[in-house]
Amino acid sequence: MHATETWIFRILVLGFAAAFAAQVWTRARLVLRARNNIHVRDDETGRRLLRFVAEVVFQSRTIAERPAVGIAHLGVYWGFTAFALYTGVEFLAGLGIADFTGARWFHLYALALVPFSVAVMLGISGLLVRRAIVRPAALGDHVSGESVLIGFFILTLMITFLLAFQWETGLAARVNWWIHAMVILGFLVLIPDSKHFHLVLSPLTVYLRSPSLATVPNLDFEQEQVGLETVADVERKQVLDAFTCVECGRCQVNCPAHATGKLLNPKQLILQNEEALLAGALDRKLADVFDAKVLWQCTTCGACEAQCPVGVEHLPLIIGARRGLASNGEAPDALAAVYNHLERRGNIWGLGADLRQKFVQSAGVEIFDAARHEYLVWLGCAGAFEADFQKSLRSLFDILRARGVRFGVLAKERCTGDVAKRTGNEYLFQELARANIEDFSAAGVTKIITSCPHCLRTMGVDYREFGFTAEVVHSATLVAELTRTMAAPGAGHVTFHDPCYLGRYAGVTEEPRELLARFGATVHEPGRHGANPFCCGAGGGLLFEEHEEGRRISQERLEQLHGTGAPTIVTSCPFCSIMLKGAQASANTQVEFVDLISFVDGRMKSAAPAATPRP
Amino acid sequence: MILVIAEQQDGTLNKSSWETIAAAQQTGGPVKVAVVGAATAAAAAALAAADVAEVLRVEAPVLSPYTLDGFVSALGQVVAAERPGDVYLPHTYQTRDFAPALAVHLGRALVTDCVATRQADGRRLFVRPVFQGRLLADVACDGQALATFQIGAVRADTVVRGAVPAPVRTVEVAVDAGAIRQKPEAPFREAKQAVDLTQAERIVAVGRGIKELEKVALAQQLAAAMGAEVGASRPICDAGWLPMDRQIGSSGQTVAPKLYLALGISGAIQHLVGMKGARTIVAINKDPEAPIFEVADYGVVGDLFEIVPAVIKELQG
Amino acid sequence: MKIAVCLKQVPSRDWQPRVNDQKTWVRDQDATFELNEPDAYALEEGLRLREKHGGEVVVCSVGPARVSQALREALARGADRAIHVEDEAAASADAFAVAEALAAAMRDEAFDLVLTGLQSDDQGSAQTGVMLAALLGIASATIIMEVDVQAPGLRVKRELEGGWFQWVALPMPALLTIQSGINQLRYATLKGIMAAKKKEIRKVAPPSGLASRQRITGLYVPEKRKQTQMISGSPAEAAKALVAALRDEARVIS
Repeated sequence: MHATETWIFRILVLGFAAAFAAQVWTRARLVLRARNNIHVRDDETGRRLLRFVAEVVFQSRTIAERPAVGIAHLGVYWGFTAFALYTGVEFLAGLGIADFTGARWFHLYALALVPFSVAVMLGISGLLVRRAIVRPAALGDHVSGESVLIGFFILTLMITFLLAFQWETGLAARVNWWIHAMVILGFLVLIPDSKHFHLVLSPLTVYLRSPSLATVPNLDFEQEQVGLETVADVERKQVLDAFTCVECGRCQVNCPAHATGKLLNPKQLILQNEEALLAGALDRKLADVFDAKVLWQCTTCGACEAQCPVGVEHLPLIIGARRGLASNGEAPDALAAVYNHLERRGNIWGLGADLRQKFVQSAGVEIFDAARHEYLVWLGCAGAFEADFQKSLRSLFDILRARGVRFGVLAKERCTGDVAKRTGNEYLFQELARANIEDFSAAGVTKIITSCPHCLRTMGVDYREFGFTAEVVHSATLVAELTRTMAAPGAGHVTFHDPCYLGRYAGVTEEPRELLARFGATVHEPGRHGANPFCCGAGGGLLFEEHEEGRRISQERLEQLHGTGAPTIVTSCPFCSIMLKGAQASANTQVEFVDLISFVDGRMKSAAPAATPRP
Repeated sequence: MILVIAEQQDGTLNKSSWETIAAAQQTGGPVKVAVVGAATAAAAAALAAADVAEVLRVEAPVLSPYTLDGFVSALGQVVAAERPGDVYLPHTYQTRDFAPALAVHLGRALVTDCVATRQADGRRLFVRPVFQGRLLADVACDGQALATFQIGAVRADTVVRGAVPAPVRTVEVAVDAGAIRQKPEAPFREAKQAVDLTQAERIVAVGRGIKELEKVALAQQLAAAMGAEVGASRPICDAGWLPMDRQIGSSGQTVAPKLYLALGISGAIQHLVGMKGARTIVAINKDPEAPIFEVADYGVVGDLFEIVPAVIKELQG
Repeated sequence: MKIAVCLKQVPSRDWQPRVNDQKTWVRDQDATFELNEPDAYALEEGLRLREKHGGEVVVCSVGPARVSQALREALARGADRAIHVEDEAAASADAFAVAEALAAAMRDEAFDLVLTGLQSDDQGSAQTGVMLAALLGIASATIIMEVDVQAPGLRVKRELEGGWFQWVALPMPALLTIQSGINQLRYATLKGIMAAKKKEIRKVAPPSGLASRQRITGLYVPEKRKQTQMISGSPAEAAKALVAALRDEARVIS
């Protein structure tokens, strides 16, 4: 290359690199000043690396949610990675530092890149058509000019790469080289201030993503932590998330609130956060940035976070902001009443313990005694007071007795604190948690069975932070194991509604289906099922909110389940049951509801009524 | 001698006055009745039918309308002049307002909300509920006391009537109008623009068991017959058969009336939390397993379309 | 406005009361305690009035050492400071004695407005507030639904029987007993709880020679317990029995 050319190139590279660095530095500063909430434990490294390989290298999430799009993106991404060395070598040559462009290995390498370049061109063309012509809702109302530009940049890069084989020397070759190089520099400078920053950040955010869904660690009251009140309070991972978001809209499309016409849009939240951070108004209240009303529309179903291909964690942001509001007395009135109930009566409905006592006595269950019982059956608030769920519990007691499991219940229970935790009332949650853990410890409890997925999550995950080590299992899992050798044919057609807190949060999707199949039911699946169910609308404190904008989430889900054609809906969570039955009462469908455990118990009894041994 | 303070409103005696007289008569000793107001002739004449030693008219223009300061002043003078033993009053909104102040004025103990009294070990014991009615307490007082009696605890029809009307005497009291600090305005009922079920004393609530819009009228008839408001569970309001401000349950309308009559309501938890505070719950439902029966005081399993008309007939007959 | 709210700490509504050996009170050593719910409404009203008119809310209570927990709960909801008349025997004392103890502790503060709940969940006498007013020599009104401050006095809405109401004007200082359920109760926020730790609870000894004028000589379980009475028979028979029960037994219709 000509000396002048080299110098011009050096100056250009310096200039563009400086621009790139400046923009990166603005964001890096915001990341570094934020409170660090990223904690990678040594024993997690292995799992995180595996996840990294699956999600980053093999793009598992992008492909799972949208196969064609995901594969197109995989082509572009792998192509990009493959080209890294090529670009590096060309730039080293252009800067006059070292020239390997003549080397034989480089020629072979360049030839090997040809299929990658074809993959990239096909991929990016498809994606461009999708973005500019097909215009799916997930990508927003108007076409992002910048994305189209980048798309054309990538095409140009591939074309100029291929043309380099044709034009190896002469003016055409130089012009081609410069076009390629300038497009790269142009691209470089566009990266930080666009969603393309994910090129840099997403491997990091995927690796750093918490191991479990909705990881919102305890507030430290000694440190006077109260939750996220202003933009300045947003923590490090959420700042990274803001810059890594690719605006793909998977979270938005899967959100039940958004799908039923509410203002809540998880993608919007992440982008609003980004905007607020970059605007620099760090003492702006999050309640203004997001519109507090929107924050209270979230059911914490986790569909947003579970879908995200770049590791964005929406729930710590939403729940963190809820904490900021709740700590200042700004929780909605419906929740204020629940908090008072929890404080006074230790349950979400403020009902008297004598009602629970009545149930315990009539069910003939023993009070837990560590010397005699293996399992504690946790009733939960619904188990204490809700008549339908109590039927399910009676079935559970019968199954456990029939299978020779020794179990007892606590004489008194208080709520696990799930609602308090998900709606941001940390103080109440920690009070309930500590008191419960103390009671468990005093009673010598080591194994807990619960039929409520919310209790399962709260005791099985959230309580661990307090050092709680007992085993916590959902009745579906245990009953599946206990009845492993049992079967009964001919139970008709059903559809199973996966509870968010069981299917998505706990990953328990096989056991219920195994039980249903073994006991003779034919399961019909709605589109949203398994680890990506559509919420019933009860979570995140929304059970208590009478007023819902748009359509009722429970209504929407009932119709989806009804649409499978199955005459019976099987539920596995007391709150899903309350919501769906409530939706039915207000609609005019005529489906039957049955709880999973009641179903199994019924089948066990009808299959061999006399043979069921009773100790 | 026990002095009973009767209560009247614009010349009409409050029925609880008779209950209090009955309670006093049951102690076996002499009883006098006092009635307070600006125009007490009619009330006094009615009271004279009871078998009591005397009816006292405590009359002064300034004693109507009722004020705390006026009544405490007047009754303080009456007690000083008549020197009764215990003083009995009905436990009403009015006596809850002034009786404690009267007790302080007289330096006497006040035992409220009594359901009975009896003599034991040479002294009078007053029986009253404590811990929200979970226990009953026998209460003994130092010296002479004031006691208020729970409405309906003693049956008004157990009052002993006198063979001849009791003598009526007017008692002079000097009440300084300028010293009365309370300035009451005329009582009123709320304008019914919006329904506030939280203030209703009785509620008839309908649920899905009512089956059709046309049948809702049945509930309204029952409500009218017993002086109740109409409420509903959510499905009824969702269907538009009754307006949203009649919905009971969950957040929003939480009610605690004296009487809650649930027609065709299963008692799902969302509804239950809205009405569990009702003092007396009646459930009529054709499903004997309905959860509402767990919290009901009285339950009738059957067809509400047959039972409700029968109840209306019984109320009107 | 200088507002006082009188509170009582009572055994939790869930707690099954068991009678002590002498049958003069309950065995509350093993009870859990909570702030008397009717008083929570008085506190809520007091806090709202302070929000509207400025000033301070001082919560006052008579009782043993454990009462400070209830006072902290009130401080966590926004009260400014507390006065605790510490008296071990207060729980079973009569309203007159409690009112005298409160009056002695509160007299010098010269409150503009004193609020109390209608009655306590344990003894349920519904007297302490009005007695306190009489002892302090201030005007009072009971079962108040709404408070309208019209300095130098107040206009308050009293609840009467049968769905009737009445506005009454009275001068300040005054005492009001507040009806339950008139406002949505606020919850104790994290910030409130943190701030409460630094707020003052002034301990005061009760006046000497205080004695109840009445005492419980017997405490027992009533014959009738809350059980569902199922009424059977033909519709006409069931209707007759039901109406009779409602009229004569439950006494909820006339």
